[in-house]
Amino acid sequence: MRILVAEDLYLLRDGLVRLIEAYGHQVVATATTGPETLDALLKWRPDVSIVDVRMPPTQSDEGLRAALEARRRAPGLPVLILSQHVEQLYARELLADGAGGVGYFLKESVFDADQFIEALERVAGGGTAMDPAVIGKLLASGSSNRKLDRLTEREHDVLSLMAEGLSNQAIGQRLFLSDSAISKYTTSLFGKLDITDDDNNNRRVLAVLRYLNK
Amino acid sequence: MRQVTVGFVRFGAVFGVSMLVPIVWAAAVALGVWWGGWAWIAPVFWACFGTLALSRPVCRMFRALVARWTGTVIPAGYRQAAPVAQMSTGYWWNGFSYSRTSERAREEQRWRTRWSDPATWRDVRFTAIAPVTVIVPLLGLTLALVQRPLGIIVAIASAPFAWRLAEPLAVRFLRPSPAMALADRVEELTAQRADTTVAQAAEIRRIERDLHDGAQARLVSLGLSLATAEKLMATNPDQAKALLREARVGAAASLSELRELVRGISPPVLNERGLVDAVRASALDSPLDTNVTADLRQKLDPPIESALYFGIAELMTNAVKHAHATRAQISIVQRNTDIVVEVEDNGRGGASVRAGGGLDGLRRRLAVFDGTLEITSPAGGPTRARMLVPCESS
Repeated sequence: MRILVAEDLYLLRDGLVRLIEAYGHQVVATATTGPETLDALLKWRPDVSIVDVRMPPTQSDEGLRAALEARRRAPGLPVLILSQHVEQLYARELLADGAGGVGYFLKESVFDADQFIEALERVAGGGTAMDPAVIGKLLASGSSNRKLDRLTEREHDVLSLMAEGLSNQAIGQRLFLSDSAISKYTTSLFGKLDITDDDNNNRRVLAVLRYLNK
Repeated sequence: MRQVTVGFVRFGAVFGVSMLVPIVWAAAVALGVWWGGWAWIAPVFWACFGTLALSRPVCRMFRALVARWTGTVIPAGYRQAAPVAQMSTGYWWNGFSYSRTSERAREEQRWRTRWSDPATWRDVRFTAIAPVTVIVPLLGLTLALVQRPLGIIVAIASAPFAWRLAEPLAVRFLRPSPAMALADRVEELTAQRADTTVAQAAEIRRIERDLHDGAQARLVSLGLSLATAEKLMATNPDQAKALLREARVGAAASLSELRELVRGISPPVLNERGLVDAVRASALDSPLDTNVTADLRQKLDPPIESALYFGIAELMTNAVKHAHATRAQISIVQRNTDIVVEVEDNGRGGASVRAGGGLDGLRRRLAVFDGTLEITSPAGGPTRARMLVPCESS
């Protein structure tokens, strides 16, 4: 994969580049400010980009805004946002266009390098990847709460992992269950929540996120 | 007809109140003339004393009358006596001198405060000005001595209107003077500054303690794990791997601890997006079904933003914890140069501002910016809280 790393802190940028290269991927460019990130995103059109939320010159949400702007001009451009904190508000903005190819993670998610690279690949393939912390907040709040109470504990687990962006197969591996068992759970939970099932995994994940975001 | 009657009754009231001191003086002068010689000094002395003693009640009555008739409330601005304290020697200290008993200390303090209070001298001045309200009917009566019918007509015709002069006169001369208002303001600011300094110091100590017991301790243990893993790498790779995994978990834990700490000091969304989006973000995280409406045309100063953000957060927490609400409505609007924030929930109400309570703390934090907090929360709900903070429009 050709990857762009946009991060203003040298130590983190350097660490990310080393991690990516250790997994055999290529870093095509790095950026350290908001405007630089936007230019690099549009110029290189990388397979996936890792973008920090807070960057110079304003030290506000420069990175996030650059990513949203780039995706407005180049719909579906895969971007994974890394941040010291996760907000449902930002997750909503990232998911609003419904195009997929979006990831949103806490910075410490890189501690589990295997899973992080896996998520990066999923985003590059047009899928979504959400930090468990984001999904936890989505599940804990909002008006969809009452319907979620009808789910069994297992169905709840499956729903969370699905919302994080995992395929049936990957969910099965995490929960040590067979594929067929997972599809049984998904069918029943989709029925309980009135979401139409879709064979395409990405479209299904987006439907789940849209449901939780209501 | 009824209006005329009311006018006469009010004339009577104004006449009684405003002529009290002049009558004392008239009596003193009459006595002085009657006794003759140096004896006039005694009645004049007593008249001076009477003026001083009567001025405050007269002004109080005047203010009360104006407030009753026109609804205009004029602040008195009297200086409050400081509390009297017993020293270790057993004597009482009243801010000026020591006394053997608390009663004596209080009495002396009362006179000293009164003597040095600019409001006292303003009141004395006003006793001389107050008769202006009834001057036309009085002139009418004087005229009647020379030209009976005309003078009496003037007096009777003007009397029902006399009380109307009371309000403008009181507004102009009975208000606290700018110097008094400034003195009050200085007192208020001194108290607030002390408050803020104490709160700030406590906050800094809390942060230090959190860092010391949390992140710092965790980083030490992280370093220990790494050092041990390095040592075991060659001899016992399995244990080294387990230690490395432990170190990773520890690092993640200290990060999430630091994140919580940072959120308590200054929420990142607030820095990144400003007040409205920060409130939207916390509304999304809240278990309440929350609707946020906002109309802010300008970026607020960071300290005001932060105070309002934490104020809203506290009100939302109260709505969940104490009012058992399920829905909340937050509105943030700019009205002229004021920011008005309203938080309403559908809970069971009964909230009040108690000294030393959470809402009292919020009120004091807003007061630093000359802001106010109003709570209406009848038992059974709903609770409606309104924070108002003036801001200079830029």
